[in-house]
Amino acid sequence: MRLIAFSGALMLGLLSAQSINAASIYAGQARAAAVCSQCHGIKTPSADAPFPPLAGRDFAYLKSALEQYRDKTRKSEIMNAIAGSLSDNDISNVAAYYAGLKP
Amino acid sequence: MKSTKKLLSKSVIAGLATVLMPLGLQAAADEAQKMHILYEENCASCHGSDHGGFLAPALNSETLKGRSPTALRSIIMTGSFDTLMPPFYGRLSDDDIRSLVKHLQSTAKLANPAWTIDDIKASIKVYVKDESTLPAKPTYEIDNMDNIIGVAARGKYGRGSGSKAVFINSVSHKQIGEIATGTAAHIIDYNPVNPRWAYVKNDTAEIFKVDLYSMQIVRSVKTGFNGPGQGVSRDGKYIMAGSYVPHNAVILDADTLEPLKTFALEGIDPDGKMVTSDSGMVIGTPFADIFAIALENAGQVWVVDLKDDFPITKITDVGRHLHDAFLTHGGSKLMVASYDDSIVAAIDLKDRKIIKKLEAGCVPHVGGGAAVEVDGRTLGFGTNFGDCDKMVVSVWDLDKMEVVKQVPVAGGTESPAAHANAPYVAVDIISKDRRARTVQLIDKKTLEVVKTLDVGGHAYFPEYSADGKFLYVSAGYSGDEVVVYDSTTLEKVASIAMESPAGIFSHGRVKYMTRGLSPDEMKGAK
Repeated sequence: MRLIAFSGALMLGLLSAQSINAASIYAGQARAAAVCSQCHGIKTPSADAPFPPLAGRDFAYLKSALEQYRDKTRKSEIMNAIAGSLSDNDISNVAAYYAGLKP
Repeated sequence: MKSTKKLLSKSVIAGLATVLMPLGLQAAADEAQKMHILYEENCASCHGSDHGGFLAPALNSETLKGRSPTALRSIIMTGSFDTLMPPFYGRLSDDDIRSLVKHLQSTAKLANPAWTIDDIKASIKVYVKDESTLPAKPTYEIDNMDNIIGVAARGKYGRGSGSKAVFINSVSHKQIGEIATGTAAHIIDYNPVNPRWAYVKNDTAEIFKVDLYSMQIVRSVKTGFNGPGQGVSRDGKYIMAGSYVPHNAVILDADTLEPLKTFALEGIDPDGKMVTSDSGMVIGTPFADIFAIALENAGQVWVVDLKDDFPITKITDVGRHLHDAFLTHGGSKLMVASYDDSIVAAIDLKDRKIIKKLEAGCVPHVGGGAAVEVDGRTLGFGTNFGDCDKMVVSVWDLDKMEVVKQVPVAGGTESPAAHANAPYVAVDIISKDRRARTVQLIDKKTLEVVKTLDVGGHAYFPEYSADGKFLYVSAGYSGDEVVVYDSTTLEKVASIAMESPAGIFSHGRVKYMTRGLSPDEMKGAK
């Protein structure tokens, strides 16, 4: 229920502040296409890849996971290195982009 | 028998080595052997089984001299953004990655390994023994086999379950079949006489004979270690394949895939040096019972007659570092790209001589070629990659063999697409930044870029459907889809998902020889 309420709020946010959110999703897309998709793909990772899919995952989960990887509270040699350079904005943008994709 | 003998003698040597070598040395040799296998199984299909490079850079002690092992390790782990290099994190252990870096930095480029006519013969695999058991017509709905479009799906790792040739009905834009190719599919050719056969070549130089009616592999053969060159003769009876490794070409029986003759590719280059050579383009032509093959390093084009013992006519001094080519004038003229001279050489296949060398613009890569008839002139479109001040697509008058215009485009290009019924010539921008997502469209009449499509991924290899109504583009690398546009309105009409799609090959090519020419052009060819 909370999840639905949350995505509802996100949708509303998207609708009410269209230009800002459109820009951030666009920025998220650019960042995701250039970096994340290398391993995770856009819609799905490679059939042969050991990486989890991201499309359609919960926004809050993606955001907190990226923050933890960046702050090294969650350990992964590769994700700590990649998330290390992301700003708060980058993280929100990328999480919003992947959360909004249909897997 | 022979290979058993080889194996036996190898194990004898290995056994002796175990006895004779001190323990440390033995461990080092085992490690080297392990790394060699790891390299062959993960890297070689792109970087060359001889460590000499292919689609991707050469990886050997010379090319990697002075490079930081840490930086190399991280490229292997994460892959290289904006290239085809995938992340090996999670596929190779960290220890293996570290050892591999050491191995690469201490291994010299290997000598050209042999792959003889006997090896080729022994590599034939038969999947369908009795071809008379195959269905007499397509097992799916299709009005015309020319409506089939084949896509070389590389798969993210250039091998594995994502590597296949995918066939699409270009009227419904639905996938109708696929065949697994083991390593990345690279080239798809069609039999010009019998519409049921396709020939798919992958990045490890295996050729698959595919029955398009039942969408399955019938036979396969390994023609070398790598190299994209493949052509089919106009009578549909022969295939010619050329390799980078080894420096060989072979003519196969298109029916059985039995090798009939191999050719050692060597000759005197335009600078007077005797060299062995990679195989560039191999092409069959509706003009005659011949193949033409470009010797990349020797700068020669060989014309092989499909008779007797397959005699060769050598055309020398064509250019430095030849690569790809396209046909015009009923297939009697061949336009060959020369990277290092920045020219495209026009060759008369009738008289077997160079007609003229035309200015290309930068580093010419003509891809599958494009030629269109506009207001009574036949215009050819030449794409260029490289790093030049001005990036252009050259337009040549192919009757007069002169440059008409150099059309400024957004960046490097490597593949043009044209169709007699489509208003635009599409070129793929491949510059390594956001531009790589795009395809630009040149108006046939005004010869100016009129539109840029943001396709996504690394957009490349545009191709028109046989009727010219739709433009297919691979959103390659991580784009993972083929995007279809209406060729007039340029509206996106469909998307077909697959892993890292690359070359797109319309079955219609057998009808119009070079993309953009109308089938009428073929009628003059006899």
